[in-house]
Amino acid sequence: MPRSPIALLAALALALPAHAADEAPRRPTGDIPLFTEEAAAAGVSQVYDGPWEFFVGGGVASFDCDGDRKPDMAIAGGRNPLKLYANRSKVGGPLRFEERPHGLDEKDAANVLGAYPLEIDGDGLTDLVLLKLGRNLLLKGLPGCRFEVANKAWGYDGGRAWTTAFAATFERGARFPTLAFGNYVDRAQPGSPWGTCADNDLFRPGAGDTPRYSERTPLTPGYCALSMLFTDWNRSGEPALRVTNDRQYYRGGEEQLWKVPPGGAVTAYGRKDGWQRLTIWGMGIAQFDLNVDGAPEYALSSMGDTKLQTLDEDADEESPVYRDIAFERGATAHRPYTGQDLRPSTGWHTAFADVNNDAAIDLFIAKGNVEAMPDFAQFDPSNLLLGRFDGSFAEAGAEAGIATGTKGRGAALVDFNLDGMLDLVQVNRGQPATVFRNLGAPRAPFGPQPAAETATGDTPAPLTVAAAPEPAAPGAPASETPASIPVAVAPQPSKTPGTGNPNTDLPRTGPMGNFLGIQLVQKDANRWAVGARIAVKTGTRTMPRDVLIGGGHASGHLGWTHVGLGTAERAEIRVQWPDGEWSHGYRVFANQYVVIERGKPDARYWYAVE
Amino acid sequence: MRRLVLAAAVLLAAPAFAAEPVPEPAPEPAPWDERVLGAPLSLDAVAAGGTAAIDALIARGEALFRAKFTVLDGAGRPMATQAIVPTRRKRPLEQPFSRTHGPDANACSGCHNDPVVGAAGEFVANVFVSEGFESADFDSLDPQFSNERNSNILQGSGLVELLAREMTRDLHEIRAIALRKAREAGTEARLPLQSKGVSFGTITAFPDGMVDTTGFDGVDTDLVIRPFSQKGVFTSLRQFTINALNVHHGMQATERFGARWTGTADFDEDGVADEVSPGDISAMVAWQATLAVPTRRTDLSPVWAKAAARGEQVFADVGCAECHRPALPLDSLVFTDPGPFDAAGTLKQADVDAPIAIDFARLAFVETLPRDDKGRVLVPLFGDLKRHVIADQRNERLGNELMEQRFVPRDAFITAELWGIASSAPYGHRGDITTLDEVIRAHAGAATETTTAYKALPEADRQAVIAFLKTLVIEEALD
Repeated sequence: MPRSPIALLAALALALPAHAADEAPRRPTGDIPLFTEEAAAAGVSQVYDGPWEFFVGGGVASFDCDGDRKPDMAIAGGRNPLKLYANRSKVGGPLRFEERPHGLDEKDAANVLGAYPLEIDGDGLTDLVLLKLGRNLLLKGLPGCRFEVANKAWGYDGGRAWTTAFAATFERGARFPTLAFGNYVDRAQPGSPWGTCADNDLFRPGAGDTPRYSERTPLTPGYCALSMLFTDWNRSGEPALRVTNDRQYYRGGEEQLWKVPPGGAVTAYGRKDGWQRLTIWGMGIAQFDLNVDGAPEYALSSMGDTKLQTLDEDADEESPVYRDIAFERGATAHRPYTGQDLRPSTGWHTAFADVNNDAAIDLFIAKGNVEAMPDFAQFDPSNLLLGRFDGSFAEAGAEAGIATGTKGRGAALVDFNLDGMLDLVQVNRGQPATVFRNLGAPRAPFGPQPAAETATGDTPAPLTVAAAPEPAAPGAPASETPASIPVAVAPQPSKTPGTGNPNTDLPRTGPMGNFLGIQLVQKDANRWAVGARIAVKTGTRTMPRDVLIGGGHASGHLGWTHVGLGTAERAEIRVQWPDGEWSHGYRVFANQYVVIERGKPDARYWYAVE
Repeated sequence: MRRLVLAAAVLLAAPAFAAEPVPEPAPEPAPWDERVLGAPLSLDAVAAGGTAAIDALIARGEALFRAKFTVLDGAGRPMATQAIVPTRRKRPLEQPFSRTHGPDANACSGCHNDPVVGAAGEFVANVFVSEGFESADFDSLDPQFSNERNSNILQGSGLVELLAREMTRDLHEIRAIALRKAREAGTEARLPLQSKGVSFGTITAFPDGMVDTTGFDGVDTDLVIRPFSQKGVFTSLRQFTINALNVHHGMQATERFGARWTGTADFDEDGVADEVSPGDISAMVAWQATLAVPTRRTDLSPVWAKAAARGEQVFADVGCAECHRPALPLDSLVFTDPGPFDAAGTLKQADVDAPIAIDFARLAFVETLPRDDKGRVLVPLFGDLKRHVIADQRNERLGNELMEQRFVPRDAFITAELWGIASSAPYGHRGDITTLDEVIRAHAGAATETTTAYKALPEADRQAVIAFLKTLVIEEALD
């Protein structure tokens, strides 16, 4: 998080050949979804704010807190109190949330930088981890979307650090999760903030029938982590801890990868292992197996260039050697793609997701100036890099309607209204959180457009034409044109087919590709199968997904795993459960919400009951 | 060819186009032009047009159905497989046509022509159905690579699709009711899945919104009735048409293979972009959907009439009519295209501002159909739009396939509609059964009891059943 000019970086960014004036930018190949911002109408009002300590952070946790399988959310406020929102959206309709009391006192609810959902104690109710300036909190989930502080019950001290990153994993054979906390600047040290990064912390659960996190394992050295992720980088079945660090404050630091053998000593990969030094203003991590070779690629947000790392050909199972493919894939996202501000941009939350359901993975990067850094773009819209069918990415943030230029931080791409299309919530520093509903693709004409007038004159006979019905919501009976509308009409310019609200001025949109929502369930420990890998196969194509808690920027999601299927109307799902065991194949039809319980022969479908 | 040009001319002349910006007139094709498609048709324009536009659409559909597509139209798919999901080949096809993996026909009517265009085909017109993903190429008739299938008749298919849509809507409504009941009662709710008198098993819903699909019978787990193909795996004529155009002709519909889903307008790399427009798919759908339903012969001799009457009674008595239901009631006669239940890759109603709507009530053949006391048209299809296990270890003749198709076990097929059966020999999914008596005896699995009863009938009664079935004809074939 620099405070000083980075003129060289800016110059380099401007010199990149991808932006040569005579070279047309890549265009998306699939649908460009249209988002509409409706935080206020949705009842969401939260501002992440505060002094220097809250220049970073600003997270949102998305999860189901009341058992209705609809994603609710908790949004950090910095110096403002945390807010909890229960999802009251109708299927396919406008987004609606109800603020709920979270049960925390004023002190506990303040100074929250980030939030991650996690089922810690195995009772089937999702718990919540709050990253704070000061004592972190483990909140035990209670019925009815309530929480209670469980630090004491679970033997967790919470520390006093400035915590900015989190990740969790269930180590082999463990009943409770291992928790990793990433800490930022140690403000108590002499010379702070320069070169005074705090150590990070690892907490393994103690033995017993309840979670106990009394033993802290320091991860030394810490380099001012802003995001971390347990990742099975070499598909060994043994997740390592990937940490992205902010070079602004460390001295001699770099990006980190820690070996975390189950129950064993935690050690950092070093030069002898092939780990190469990389120094960036690391702010967010996301992983996705882009080439479906079993080893994930990583998107690392920074100031200026985003990195997109893939294993180099020199890598092997013991040697994590990476090379950057962001440029060749069109994913550098190094400066604003719209507006007049040509200074480098500042990336935060990163997430891979398929926002247009075309089966090509997309990359979202929340953007926003740290505060008022003069050498970085002030108008810095978030990126929506749509995956192209050739494996590269193309920017669509402006056309999609998310280029509002708020100071983005954490975010979540979640299908809040269960219409099969991912919506977006973005936490903004010093500004209200933005909530974007995905309306689908702008409707394209299918041939020359006739005038919207009733046919007259020599028209031989009335034509039975019914207005286009609302798209059938998943699970709801789809409408058929009623037989009793023998009226002569031309197509009416209905404003919002596909949006569920014909009385607004929203543009006409329609559905995009097919999709699946998938939830995994295990008995007892690790109920939501954190660490599982989902392989969705359609034809010759496999679309991988990971169930992970960590990464992004101070934000996490637990719930439906979204998969775009393109034109496939059915798919086979296989699950590699967190302990490495593969499931049999589950055959499912598209456009369904599917729950897979470990050990059950069949997947079940889920439908919202309204 | 001349007919197609005429149809297009009528369509372009429809009054609804009067207010459109006048496009530059396309250069008149030379009389010897070897293209058959012509300018793409606008779905939106047809939807906004009047009856004349619909009539022109149907006429164009017939011309397209008969058209022998050429490479100038985009026939052939050198770099695409026959798969229904756009799937690229690893190397170009060596030959433009192949009787096994396709493309295997010049025109739709190449296989659907016996005894009239739009009907079935004899054994020589069989096709080899494979998923087209792994082992997309095969030069063997060995059933480990493909399922060999005989062509179905398309007469009456518009009414069949309307029946399927209504049944799907019924089943979805039952699902919603079960979910509501479970939620209200706080415990699981089990309801029979029934539509138009056909049972599709039971559904069990739970208070939390979960649904147990293991009680479903003869229908996919998404409760969409898919009435088309021997297997019963295609939702709509539109989906069937798009699939078939690619498989058999290498003609790729833009709504499935276009840039929106593949990133290129020429996915099969044959040099022709955007080969078949949504409007032209609608034309083909419209023609197929409005093909007159098969009928019964009325020119029977007294002996045949008497035997047929007896045979129809026996047909019901031994249980044939439990699956081959003489008629299913239809509420609505308005056929919309695109339809409501297709998935992405096949246009559906939600994709368009207004669908094309064809009111079947104005079709002469519909006026002749009986109605029940509720005013519903009784569609005499002799089917139930349900899949059944039709083969077993003792008698595999109707399950003579090795490959599953689209999640459906190899021994299960949708009940063949018997209307027109007297005009559509040979019989069986593979078209390898030459007589009606043989194909009845081939029924096993869930039909075992009925087959046993048929076999036990006196010879005169078995002959009567044949006499009855021989009255179910495609009337046009009698002309």
